[in-house]
Amino acid sequence: MPATRRPPSAAIAKTVLDNGLRVVVAPDPTNPIVAVAVVYDVGFRSEPEGRTGFAHLFEHLMFQGSAHTGKMEHVQLVERAGGVMNGHTAPDVTCYYEALPSEGLALALWLEADRMGALALNEENLANQVSVVEEEIKVNVLNRPYGGFPWTNLPSVAFETYPNAHNGYGDFEHLEEATLADAADFYAKYYSPSNAALAVCGGCEPEEVFQLAARYFGPLAGAKVPFTGPFRESPTPKDKHKTIRDPLVPQPAFAAGYRVPDPVACLQEYLSYAVLGAVLADGDSSRLRQRLVHGDQIVTDVDVRLGTFGNDSFSLRDPVLFQFVVFHPGVATTKHVLGVIEEELARLAADGPTTEELQRVAALTAAGHWRGLDEVLGRAVSLASTEIIHGRAELIMELPGLLTAVSASDVAAAAASLLGQHKAVLELRPAAGATRR
Amino acid sequence: MTPARTSAKASASAGAGAAPERPITGELRVPKALRIVEEPLGAGANLLTVRQSRVPLVEVRLAIPIGADQVKHHAASLVGAESLFAGTEHHNRASFAMAVERLGGYVGASIDADRFAIGGSVLAENLAPFLDLICEALLTARYPEADVRSDRDRVADEIVLSRSQPETLAGEALRRRLYGKHPYAIGLPSPSAVRRVGSQVLRSLHDVVFRYGGGHLVLVGDIEPAKAARLARQALGPWLDGLGRAAEPLPPVPAPRPGPLLLVDRPGSVQSNVRLARPAPGRGDPSWPAAALANLVFGGLFGSRLVDNLRERHGYTYSPGSSINHSRAGSTFGIHAEVATPSTAASLVETLYELGRFSLLGIEPEELESARRYALGSLSYSLSTQAGVAGTLVRLATAGMGTDYLSNYAKAIAKVSKDDVDAIAATLFAPTDLVAVVLGDASEIAASIGRVMALEVRPLGEG
Repeated sequence: MPATRRPPSAAIAKTVLDNGLRVVVAPDPTNPIVAVAVVYDVGFRSEPEGRTGFAHLFEHLMFQGSAHTGKMEHVQLVERAGGVMNGHTAPDVTCYYEALPSEGLALALWLEADRMGALALNEENLANQVSVVEEEIKVNVLNRPYGGFPWTNLPSVAFETYPNAHNGYGDFEHLEEATLADAADFYAKYYSPSNAALAVCGGCEPEEVFQLAARYFGPLAGAKVPFTGPFRESPTPKDKHKTIRDPLVPQPAFAAGYRVPDPVACLQEYLSYAVLGAVLADGDSSRLRQRLVHGDQIVTDVDVRLGTFGNDSFSLRDPVLFQFVVFHPGVATTKHVLGVIEEELARLAADGPTTEELQRVAALTAAGHWRGLDEVLGRAVSLASTEIIHGRAELIMELPGLLTAVSASDVAAAAASLLGQHKAVLELRPAAGATRR
Repeated sequence: MTPARTSAKASASAGAGAAPERPITGELRVPKALRIVEEPLGAGANLLTVRQSRVPLVEVRLAIPIGADQVKHHAASLVGAESLFAGTEHHNRASFAMAVERLGGYVGASIDADRFAIGGSVLAENLAPFLDLICEALLTARYPEADVRSDRDRVADEIVLSRSQPETLAGEALRRRLYGKHPYAIGLPSPSAVRRVGSQVLRSLHDVVFRYGGGHLVLVGDIEPAKAARLARQALGPWLDGLGRAAEPLPPVPAPRPGPLLLVDRPGSVQSNVRLARPAPGRGDPSWPAAALANLVFGGLFGSRLVDNLRERHGYTYSPGSSINHSRAGSTFGIHAEVATPSTAASLVETLYELGRFSLLGIEPEELESARRYALGSLSYSLSTQAGVAGTLVRLATAGMGTDYLSNYAKAIAKVSKDDVDAIAATLFAPTDLVAVVLGDASEIAASIGRVMALEVRPLGEG
């Protein structure tokens, strides 16, 4: 059964600088590694119409130099300090992060402050990064079977409005039309300390972090906080279905998306869907793996995700999708597999999960939570992201308790709510006449 | 080209002007050595334990080195890894999974050309029952026929999926070129071979593989080494008692015969998968630390020469890189880049240029210092999690490295000189005699590649 004691690293210290930068520290001075994450409250839901993919392109530009660092110097300085770094763009947040030996803390904060304060942009670097992003999209989507499925293509079926429906990787023509003026506007509007959170985890002391943050980020001026969502829209008024014939894919796959309650305003209800997802598809004894993969044997893999990527349940604003992602060899139709999923939802809606199932989910959740805490880089990113979206990084530390408190009837109600709504289905099929190799 | 301009937010410009100086990077620090406790378990098997108690979990790894005989049973081994936990004396698949998951655990099995491995993690307080479950599978796995039928079909389906990925296909073509008749050349088995695997074959294979001595059990986490040893002996004793001799190791990989660049035709590809490779020093070779640093500077870092050239200067590719991979029977230096189709030949030219430049002119002192610090810092990072320590230890143990390997490696990295790097780079990066494979649309790229390198073109599936 889940251990209840709190690990030493569960304590969080927080402050807010005068310019609005939120600072979160989860110290563990025994760790030789410190992780730094700066998360901006902007993602691809906020990018302008006609500029799909811009938030992600802009993330690339953040590595091209700033007031006191040249192109790629950020990367070289972090690596020279023994560290790793990266960035990623999500629907509601854009994240930048590094993990390095703890004596590199000041350097990492200086580097993040430098590019928050003043970015160096030029035509050559913009054109270069447009090419790099296009190659990224080719390698991850266009040249890859199931590439970008379903995060790039399900939203257009599930949603009607531009912020929610468009593909966050972007169209090549939009990427190629992007200008330096677009970048300067985007930067001025969204990349200010008042629109960001800094999280530091691992080998550090809170006082040290607060002092360094004040020294490096303190001089930066805040700006008016822009609107970045929630971009609410009504649930789809009817079932929606789209089929894409893809010559690259050898077997069918589909994703079915349902709407869930607002993750911030209705957190308590939202948590029931996290538990429902685990009952349905987390682990080999979960209901859908038992039924579809091992029982009926009509599915190669089934995954349930609360959120866009599955690991981002607490860094998203409304609207959020509860997704079933299924790969199957085609021995059963998509309609049949969906019917079986709905049968399992109906069983849960009627009877709820068993006590044993809830215990299983509680133990898995606790273990998964601690595994996540052990990895300081991921933890820094989720703390900063959750501070941005929920205003409470502490939520991350409280999750095991909150999820354990979800009752069987909460899970039953969540299952019933899915059955009672219209769904959006995106299906990938091999090109007609394609043969299995 | 437009001169750089700074896009400072107007309101921030005063602050930016007064920005504090960049902090100086501290002294080079060699990571603190792990305290690895090693205990023999009999039949050449051993237990490696590290106490790392930041979170109340224990990571568990068990690796059993296998031999040339198992390579012949590649299809069966893959299915066996799926079916190992599908039924035991006391559990069916569902109840076994439920038992593991209620402990806050997960467990899985995997196979490669070097070892059969079981890996998992569990809440520390539940380690004993978790090891009991693993022992139950090791001693009484039944490979029920219905489960095996389902598992083999799923493995076959997964192979079909994997074989549709260009990276998999390029990797398979490269291995055939690199390893010739050596077992490492064998890629994924055919789906039809997998669909023929039956329960009886799996039971026989199990009886061979899980009686090999010479395995390694690794426990890392919130546990005292002495207690870990006691629990391991208690839980796994009945299995340990039945162990016999270790498997015969595979023969060393032969020297490759490079030949012309192999262009595998994949019509309609919007990118080309470029792969270049050659043998590299192994972990036991005195030149390995210098080779490791040379690789970082060449293509192993985001700030490396190859990334700077292909990505940041030319925009040909998103994620080019190089690495040195170690297997028991040989180590390999490899370059990989997924490049825009029209830039394929140009990417090869730039890559050969960077290889030749490094081979002839060597490393800059600044680059060496960066690589040294990165190597030590990233080692420290990979050892900062329980999973990282467990994975590293089991890999090293399977490769035959002793428990002092990591601390010796760190000390050696701290001492590598420019001369050491230049000496190994001269041969490791020589642009001649590399094994070269490109997977892409031959109608678009064959002519231009042919002007750069000798090539032969083969259709997909015949590489």
